[in-house]
Amino acid sequence: MSVQYQAVGWNRQKRIYDFVLAGSVLTYLALFVGVGSIIHPNATAETLLIRGFGTAALLLLHVILCIGPLCRLDRRFLPLLYNRRHLGVTMFMLGLAHGTFGIVQFHAFGNLNPLVSLFVSNPRYGSLADFPFQSLGFVALLILFLMASTSHDFWLHNLSAPTWKRLHMLVYVAYALLITHVTLGVLQSETSPALVIILGAGLATVLSLHLAAAFPEKRLDEARSAAGADGFVEVCAVDQIPENRAVVVSLSGERVAVFRYDGNVSAISNVCRHQNGPLGEGRIIDGCVTCPWHGYQYLPGTGASPPPFTEKVPTYRTQVIDGKVLIHPCAHAPGTPIEPARIDQAERIQA
Amino acid sequence: MTQPLRRAHRRIIIVLALVLPAAFVAGIAARRPPAPANPGIHWSALERP
Repeated sequence: MSVQYQAVGWNRQKRIYDFVLAGSVLTYLALFVGVGSIIHPNATAETLLIRGFGTAALLLLHVILCIGPLCRLDRRFLPLLYNRRHLGVTMFMLGLAHGTFGIVQFHAFGNLNPLVSLFVSNPRYGSLADFPFQSLGFVALLILFLMASTSHDFWLHNLSAPTWKRLHMLVYVAYALLITHVTLGVLQSETSPALVIILGAGLATVLSLHLAAAFPEKRLDEARSAAGADGFVEVCAVDQIPENRAVVVSLSGERVAVFRYDGNVSAISNVCRHQNGPLGEGRIIDGCVTCPWHGYQYLPGTGASPPPFTEKVPTYRTQVIDGKVLIHPCAHAPGTPIEPARIDQAERIQA
Repeated sequence: MTQPLRRAHRRIIIVLALVLPAAFVAGIAARRPPAPANPGIHWSALERP
């Protein structure tokens, strides 16, 4: 968390993350060019670099797209999510290098402007085998530029998290364009079945992981509970909530994180103010609900971040009766203090 | 607050799961066999002096 904007809020974890990322990219490029020059001795350095940058960007895009659903399916992948924006910007830079080298190599030495040449030099838009695939890559690169240039908390805060997330959903359009770019481009001339298998496996992995992660979310969204006469809704048993963790429930179309800590039960919105991360998948650290994505913190009884931070999330009234947790579905204004329900309240009522 | 985004995300994934494999298979099926290489010509011979 930070109270002011910085280009990058460096910490040890981010440095390690970026060091591993930079090392992996450089190793991949060195291996690609080195091995490629041995296997294809006639290939020029420009061609090897174009292909090296392009395959590195595509590989990284697959990794980026797998991180989200993997974190939904298994919390052990959460550290990968922490700095995913740096992966995205790196992927864009690799794609930009691929595109720039490609445009220079194939379009910069004619009479036309290279960018015009990109779209008009091959007019066979009606043919699958001869489709001008470079135009697809160019449009994908524009989308990735838009995303990379807004990958900062400044834009996240000023656009609001929902708008920012909508904008960044364009990654799926870019992904579709790039899969088509590769299929109608290099896979038309390179007939090795290995390339088809690798790209097909990548596509199948991304799609199946997203589908596997999306449908449990749909079930949770559609879960309905009946309200009692006082408006409270029974959501779970106290024993179902691990200490210092939460159970996430859906109430009136909103997700609520019900935390258990120090003999208390409190309920706050499941949506982190920073990037709409799932607070209920985090845990209580030093008395604060801690978002599993980037570590933003909130006091469970008030939904407010501890000073000097100013983020606030809505809170909900809670009851514990006969070992059952009940929540009133009406959200209170962000930061409204709500007395937590005592777990021993159940024993008092039974007595 | 985030439910509309999740719904939009699900719909995007379902559309991609239908369209992308079809586009991929169609693209692979459209491939033509490469022209056989002429062993008597090396690419460097085609370079302009």
